[in-house]
Amino acid sequence: MSELKNEMIHLLANYGHVGFTFVACIFVGLGGGIVLDQKVFNGRTAPWFTFIGLAFGIAAGFKTLLQILWRVKDKNDRKDDRGLSDK
Amino acid sequence: MEHPILFISIILEKLGLPVPHGFVGNGLLEQLCAPYMTYTWLVMVFLFVVSKMTLGNLEMVPGGGQNFWEILIGGLDDFFVENMGREMADALFPMLTTFALYIAVGNLIGLIPGFMSPTSNLNTTLALTIIVWVTHHVIGFRAHGFNYYKHFIGPMWWLIPLMLPIELISNVARLLSLSIRLFGNIMAKETLLGILFMLAGAFFAPLPIMMLGVLVSLVQAMVFVLLAVVYCAQAQEHAH
Repeated sequence: MSELKNEMIHLLANYGHVGFTFVACIFVGLGGGIVLDQKVFNGRTAPWFTFIGLAFGIAAGFKTLLQILWRVKDKNDRKDDRGLSDK
Repeated sequence: MEHPILFISIILEKLGLPVPHGFVGNGLLEQLCAPYMTYTWLVMVFLFVVSKMTLGNLEMVPGGGQNFWEILIGGLDDFFVENMGREMADALFPMLTTFALYIAVGNLIGLIPGFMSPTSNLNTTLALTIIVWVTHHVIGFRAHGFNYYKHFIGPMWWLIPLMLPIELISNVARLLSLSIRLFGNIMAKETLLGILFMLAGAFFAPLPIMMLGVLVSLVQAMVFVLLAVVYCAQAQEHAH
């Protein structure tokens, strides 16, 4: 029971922030694009930097998603290696 | 919504201090008397007093209080060492443990009627997040010097135009996601409890949410600390 609960909390901690991080990445990218368009170039480049920023934001979101998956996978692989060498 | 009854605010009002009616006040004194500030101090005082009471005189054979702290500190230490190595765990242990204890107590205190979670205000969580964010960059610069920029340019040189904005965006997004997650979860818990108490408090409607609230409080404190640990460890290790 305690083992199970421990693992559940670890899973919650590892995967519970996937959604928030994804959304935050998209909004940061979009916000950066809008700032470039409206404040830096005074609306002369109007929709373009917003779209580019949005695209980069979405890409960054997927990058962090994959990073989270790879990190947990690496950790599990290392744990398996250690388990095998102990035997 | 009904205004919650916060006993520190009532005491301060009786003492004649200006307590703001919104979340943040106008003048300096009013800002200092805002509920999330006073409850932050309450959590700080609580942690000071409890640790002083239980750890004032250490013994070889630990009693109840000392036992509790030994399990807690030992568990946190093992957790940090497992995730970022002995050396860095020793260096960052005071900061990260303070975060863990402060966030956990600050989250749980909101479940008691008359108290409020200081972490249900974005100012508190953003302050904590900025500390973590600056710290992980400082660690990166100290470990790699100027070569720290290699963390942001991806694996190959011809991918730089693509990877640099992506890495910068995902790094800045850490500020946003770390602070808003803690703030959102705790504020949702507080608001839901308030609404349920107002609607059907006499029928113990908030009770199930309170049980979930204990889980959410502890998990969010752990998530915050785990992510701080992961960011610091990532900043120190070599770029791919």
